[in-house]
Amino acid sequence: MDLSTIITMVVVLGIVCGGLGIFIFKAFKYEKLKSKNGKE
Amino acid sequence: MKQQEFFSSRWALIIASIGIAVGTGNIWRFSRIVAQNGGGSFLIPWVIFLLIWSVPLLIAEFAIGKSARMGPVGAIAKTAGKKFGWMGAYIVFVSAAIMFYYSVVTGWCIRYFYSAVSGDLFSTSEHLAYWNEFTSGYQPLLFHIAAMVLVALVVFRGVTKGVERVTKFLVPSLLVILFLLFIRVVTLPNAFEGIKYFFTPDMSVILDHKVWLNALTQNAWDTGAGWGLILTYAIYMKKREDISLNAALIGFGNNTISILAGITIFSTVFALSSVDAMQQVSQSGPANTGLTFIYLPLLFSRISESNLVNMVFASLFFLGLFFAAFTSLISMVELSTRTLIDTGIKRKKAIVVVASLGILLGIPSAIDLKFLANQDWVWGVGLILSGAFISFSIIRYGVDKFRTEIINGFGSDIKIGKWYNYVIGVLIPIQVVVLVSWWLISSISWDPEWWNPFHAENFGTVIFQWAIVLSVLIAMNKFLVKKTLSENSLSER
Repeated sequence: MDLSTIITMVVVLGIVCGGLGIFIFKAFKYEKLKSKNGKE
Repeated sequence: MKQQEFFSSRWALIIASIGIAVGTGNIWRFSRIVAQNGGGSFLIPWVIFLLIWSVPLLIAEFAIGKSARMGPVGAIAKTAGKKFGWMGAYIVFVSAAIMFYYSVVTGWCIRYFYSAVSGDLFSTSEHLAYWNEFTSGYQPLLFHIAAMVLVALVVFRGVTKGVERVTKFLVPSLLVILFLLFIRVVTLPNAFEGIKYFFTPDMSVILDHKVWLNALTQNAWDTGAGWGLILTYAIYMKKREDISLNAALIGFGNNTISILAGITIFSTVFALSSVDAMQQVSQSGPANTGLTFIYLPLLFSRISESNLVNMVFASLFFLGLFFAAFTSLISMVELSTRTLIDTGIKRKKAIVVVASLGILLGIPSAIDLKFLANQDWVWGVGLILSGAFISFSIIRYGVDKFRTEIINGFGSDIKIGKWYNYVIGVLIPIQVVVLVSWWLISSISWDPEWWNPFHAENFGTVIFQWAIVLSVLIAMNKFLVKKTLSENSLSER
């Protein structure tokens, strides 16, 4: 596999799948916070 | 009266919205377009347009739907002003026109799932003849009716008991199916060559404008951004729900699923194809179906020596394809239904009207592939105008006011910065003008009689059909807006 393929793979998977992972994590975090605030 | 129905949680809304975004386009169109546009060279602009087309428009749709609490006609009239309700009506019309033939496509998926389960699909090696025999008979019509009746039953039960309950089962099931297929095919010998091709950029085409325009088109068509469908589901989100993070989750989630499907298809083709693999992936075939309904069945018959194993994987593939199509079709039917509800018609009556029209107006596409291709072409490009109208209504409202008061208003988890003003106010309109011009100018070269409105795929047919629809809707604007915004039609019935 040449360097350009590896770079493309890292950039595409990093942005798309990595971005999704970060947003899922954030959504869980805020949901937890909202339900905690709702109970108080 | 207060609105009665809401999605039960953030995750229910996100799953249903992923169901909108993930359709057959993620599975069959994405792989074909990647193959035709130099593999990795296509993926770079495709990621960029996710950020400057899909996510901003998804945010816009969520915000308009949540604040207006009405379908596109009322929502656009409330956001842009009563003079522009026809733009909302155009968004509804385009999604309905797509619904008519998408129900036919959903029917094909049901038929091929049945063929795979029964083993009938592997009784022949002539898959083109098998496809031609199927599409030239009465069966596409029957399966189109079956698809529309099934969707109507879901929407009939309402958002919480129908749409939410069904998508909560179908979308995770689709992901499991795609993941199972992914695991199986990437472990086949030579599959790695497919993955390599998928990610290797062809440097000679990386700056080609066609690659970039195809990447923008793919984002416009397969994320569901600008269709009015997300706007419709957003009507049913609770006030405390966030807008921006949900929109990002759907855009990035949709494109992650496209990558998963793309790797699966490329690996399958490279591992199992005996002839030129690339040529097979980039085949369009009749009504853009070549790869899915003609070549993949052939490849599935070669997964293993065991016919049973091959049947299981082919069945899973077509079941997944059916789930993807079905969840998107649900949202199209809900959009039309909601539009009628806004005019004062009760949900149960509205769904009967929408399903009956859906069955009736889908018949031409079910019996004639040329008609289906014509509608796919005319309203596929028409969708880009829908995105423009959403962007326009925010510009009319005031982009900065819209961002600070609605997007970053009550319930927002993350705040959107001023970059959004620039994207909606400048970049989206530029993308619309470039994309519509490119498609229309290109279509002149496809047909010597490019002006003839009765040809399937050319310039004339697009302008002719757009002109008729836009003239009628503009003429009916006052009536449509008055009917939709009347005092007693503001709640879910």
